[in-house]
Amino acid sequence: MTTVMSKPVSAPGKSIIEKLNFFTALALGALSAIVVWRLALQFLPQDTEVRLFTREDKITLLSMTAWFVGFMTGIGALVGPFRWLMGKDLTHEENMFLAGKDMGVKRYFRYTTDHKVVGIQYLVITMLIFGIGGILAMLIRTNLGTPEGGWIHPQAYNSIVGTHGIVMIVGTIIMVTGPFGNFIMPIMIGARDMAFPRLNALSFWLIVAAAVPLLWGQFLGGISTGWTAYNPLASQAPLGMDGYIMFICIFAISTMVAGANITTTVVKMRAKGMTWNRTPIFIYGVVASVALALPAFPVFFLSQVLSAMDRALDTSFYNTAGGGSGWLYENLFWIMGHPEVYVILIPAVAALMEMAPVFTRNPLFSFNVAIMGIAGISGLSILVWAHHMYMSGWAPLLNTPFMLTTELISIPTGMLFLVLVGTLWRGRLWMTMPTMSIFALLWNFMIGGITGIYLSDVPADAFLHGSMYVTAHFHYTLMGAGLTGALAALVYWFPAMTGRMFDKKLSWISFWMVQIGFNIAFIGMFTVGLAGQPRRVEAYASTFNTGNMITTGGAYLIMTGMLVLLYGVISSWRSGVIAPKNPWQAKTLEWTVGYPVPLENFDVLPVVTSDPYGYGKAKS
Amino acid sequence: MSVETHAHHEHPDVVGSRNRLGVVLLLVADIAFALSMIFVYFYLRQQNVNDMWLPAATSEHPAITPLASGAGWTVTAIAAFGLLAHFYGLKGVRAGNQTQLKLGSLVALVASIAAIVYQFNTIATAPFTFSDGAYVSCFYMFAILNFVHIMLTIFISLGNWNRARLGIYKSDHWHVDIVNVWWVWMVVSSLLGAFALSHP
Ligand code: HEM
Ligand SMILES: [Cu+2]
Repeated sequence: MTTVMSKPVSAPGKSIIEKLNFFTALALGALSAIVVWRLALQFLPQDTEVRLFTREDKITLLSMTAWFVGFMTGIGALVGPFRWLMGKDLTHEENMFLAGKDMGVKRYFRYTTDHKVVGIQYLVITMLIFGIGGILAMLIRTNLGTPEGGWIHPQAYNSIVGTHGIVMIVGTIIMVTGPFGNFIMPIMIGARDMAFPRLNALSFWLIVAAAVPLLWGQFLGGISTGWTAYNPLASQAPLGMDGYIMFICIFAISTMVAGANITTTVVKMRAKGMTWNRTPIFIYGVVASVALALPAFPVFFLSQVLSAMDRALDTSFYNTAGGGSGWLYENLFWIMGHPEVYVILIPAVAALMEMAPVFTRNPLFSFNVAIMGIAGISGLSILVWAHHMYMSGWAPLLNTPFMLTTELISIPTGMLFLVLVGTLWRGRLWMTMPTMSIFALLWNFMIGGITGIYLSDVPADAFLHGSMYVTAHFHYTLMGAGLTGALAALVYWFPAMTGRMFDKKLSWISFWMVQIGFNIAFIGMFTVGLAGQPRRVEAYASTFNTGNMITTGGAYLIMTGMLVLLYGVISSWRSGVIAPKNPWQAKTLEWTVGYPVPLENFDVLPVVTSDPYGYGKAKS
Repeated sequence: MSVETHAHHEHPDVVGSRNRLGVVLLLVADIAFALSMIFVYFYLRQQNVNDMWLPAATSEHPAITPLASGAGWTVTAIAAFGLLAHFYGLKGVRAGNQTQLKLGSLVALVASIAAIVYQFNTIATAPFTFSDGAYVSCFYMFAILNFVHIMLTIFISLGNWNRARLGIYKSDHWHVDIVNVWWVWMVVSSLLGAFALSHP
C-alpha cells in the first residue's frame, strides 16, 4: 500500500482514557454480547433429556454477562485497575481529565469522576427510571380501570407488574443518595470530592449497564413473577427472568461500591471542626441508608446467583424435587428486602429533616432523638424480615417474635415524626413546596405506618396478605413518604445543582396534583384490598369496580402532576430565575460555594465552628 | 481554580487510611455474601427436603456421597501460605527491605495461582453433576464462588508483586498493608467454606 492515509488513527499521546465514552461502551457491549451469543449457540452442547431448557438460559446469561463486561470495558472502568496492575498509576493530568476538567457537556457521557457530574447523571437516570416505571404503572391502572381486563394480554400484564415493581424499587433506592448524596453531600461536609472518585463513576455506570439486561429480558418473555421473583416460580419463568437476575447482580455491585464510597467519604473527609454533633442530619440519613444496604445487597446478589445456577446449571437450591427450598429464597430475599425499604425511606426523611429548620427558622428539634430514631430503625430493620412470610407456612412458631420486632419499629419511627413535628411547632413557617412536603410526609407516612402495624399483626395479616391492601400500604410508604421527600429535595437543592430556582408555581401545582391524586388512588386501593381484591391480578370481580375506577382516576391525576413537574424541571433548568447564592438562607456548606461549583468545590477547605441549625433558641 | 491543595498533595497516611476503610467496607459486603452462603448451606442441610440433601441410590444413579473435606482445607492451606508469604513481604517493606518485599509478594502470587489450579481441579474432577441434590449444589456454590475469589486474588497479588518489582513501594507502602487485609479475608473465607463442606 503506497497510498498515504495522512490522518493518524489517534493523535500521538492521546491515551485510551480520552477515547472511551458512552458510545464506545455501547458498541463494545453490543459487540461482545453478539459474539458470545453466536459462539454459545455454536458450541454449547444440547441439553440431555433430563435437563431441558438450561441451554437457552446459559446462552442468555453468557451473552448478558458479555454485554456487561464489554460495556464496562468500553466506558473505561478497567483503565484504573489495569494501570494499577502495571504500576503506572494515573497521573495528575489524567485524573483531572477524568474529573472532566474544562470538558463541557461531553463529560456527562464519560467515566467522569467529579462528584457533581455523577450527581447530575444520577438525577437524570432516576428521572428516566421513574418515567419508565410510571408508564408501566399507567398501563397497569388503565387495564384495571374495568373489571374484565383483557386490554393487555395476561402474560404481558404480569411482566408489566413485575417490571414496574423492580424498576421503581431501584429508582427509589437511588433517588436521594444518588443525585443528592453525590452532588450535595461532599460539599455539605466540606470535601473536595468523594473518597474514591473512580468508584463513584463506577457505581453510576454499573446502573446503566444493568438497565440493558432488564430491557432485553422484556423481549424474552418478561418478568412474570412480580418484583420479588420468588422461586421456584422464577426458575420456571421464561428467559426474561435472566434479565432480572443480571439486573439485580449488577445493581447490587453498584450499591455496594456506592455504600463503601459514601461511608468512607463521610467518616474520613468531613471538614475541620465538623464533629459528629455538627454534621447535618441529612448526612446521617445518607450514611444510614448506604451502610444498611452494604450488608443487605450481597444477600440479594447471592439469591440471584443461586437462581441463575438453578436455571442454567440445573442445581437445586430452590427446587424442592432436588432438595432445595422455596423458603430459602424467601428468606434470602426478605433479609435484604426489609432493610431495603428503610434504605429508601431514611434518606428521604432525613432530607426533609434538613429542610425543616431552614423553612421554620427553628433549630432541628432534638438532633439526638433524630439520630436515635435513624439508628433504631436501621438496627431493628434487620430483625423483621419474616413478617413478609407469615402466611408462607415457614416456621409458624417464629411469627410471634417477628410480630414483636416489627411492631417495635414503630418506636424509632415515632421519633422521626416527633423531630419533624417538634421542628415545625410554632416555627415561623416559610411556605414553600418543600415545607408543604413535610406535612405531606407526616400525613402519608402516618397512613403507611399504621397500616403497616395492621399488616404486622399475624391474625390481621392472614386476611390482608396478598391483597391490594399490601400494595396500598407500601405505596403510602415508598411513594407517599419516600418520593415526597425526594421531590422536595429536588426543589430545595435545585438552585445548588443548576444555578436556577425551580419554578415556584409549577412546584406547587405539581405538588397538589401528585398529593391529591396519590391519596385518591391509594385510599381507593385500600378499600378494594380490605374488601378482598388480590394483588397482581389482571381482571377482578365486578364488586371491586368502583374502588378500582377511583384508583385509576387518581393515577391519572398523579401522572399529570408528574408531567407538570417534569416540565418544571426542564423549563427551570433551561430558563429559570437565576438563583442567588443562598436562596433559602440555610447554614450548611453546600450554599457557600456558589454556582457553578468549581471543580474541587473549595479553594480553601472550610472550617466549621458551629452546628448547622443555629437559627436561634429552640422552643420547648 | 486552585489545585495547590488538591488530593494529590495529601499525606500518604491520610490517603492510606481512607483507602483502608474503603476496602474494609467492601469486605463487609463480601463477608455478608459469604455468610449468606453459609446460611444457604446449613439451611438446606438441616431441612434435607425430600431426603435430597444427599440422594440415595436409584436405578440410574449410585448414592451421592460427600466429597472428602480435604479439598476445602487444602485450598485454605494454600491461601494461608499465600498470606504468610505476603505478610513476610510486608514485614520486609516495613523494615525497608525491598528484596524481602519482592520475594514475599512473588511467592504470594505463586500461591494464588496454585490455589486456582487446585480449585479448578476440584471442580473438574468432582464425581457428580449439578443436578445431584442439594449438597452437590452447595458444593458447586462454594467451589465456583471461591474460584472467582481466587481470580480476584491473583489480580491483586500480581499487581502487588509487579509494583514491588518496579520499586513503587519505596516511598510509602500502604497498598501492601491493604493487600494484607485482603489476604486475611481470603484465608478466612476459604476457611468458612472448608468448615461448611466438612459438615455434610
Ligand atoms: C411502621 C412501619 C412498618 C410496618 C410495621 C410495616 C409492616 C409491613 C408488613 C407486615 C408487610 C407484609 C405484608 C404482607 O405481605 O402481608 C409489609 C409489606 C411491605 N412494606 Fe411495610 N411496614 C412498615 C413500613 C414500611 C416502609 C417505611 C416501607 C418502605 C419505605 C415499607 C414497604 C413495604 C413493602 C415494599 C412491602 C411489600 C412487599 C411485597 O410483598 O411486595 N413498609 N409491611
Ligand atoms: Cu418489611
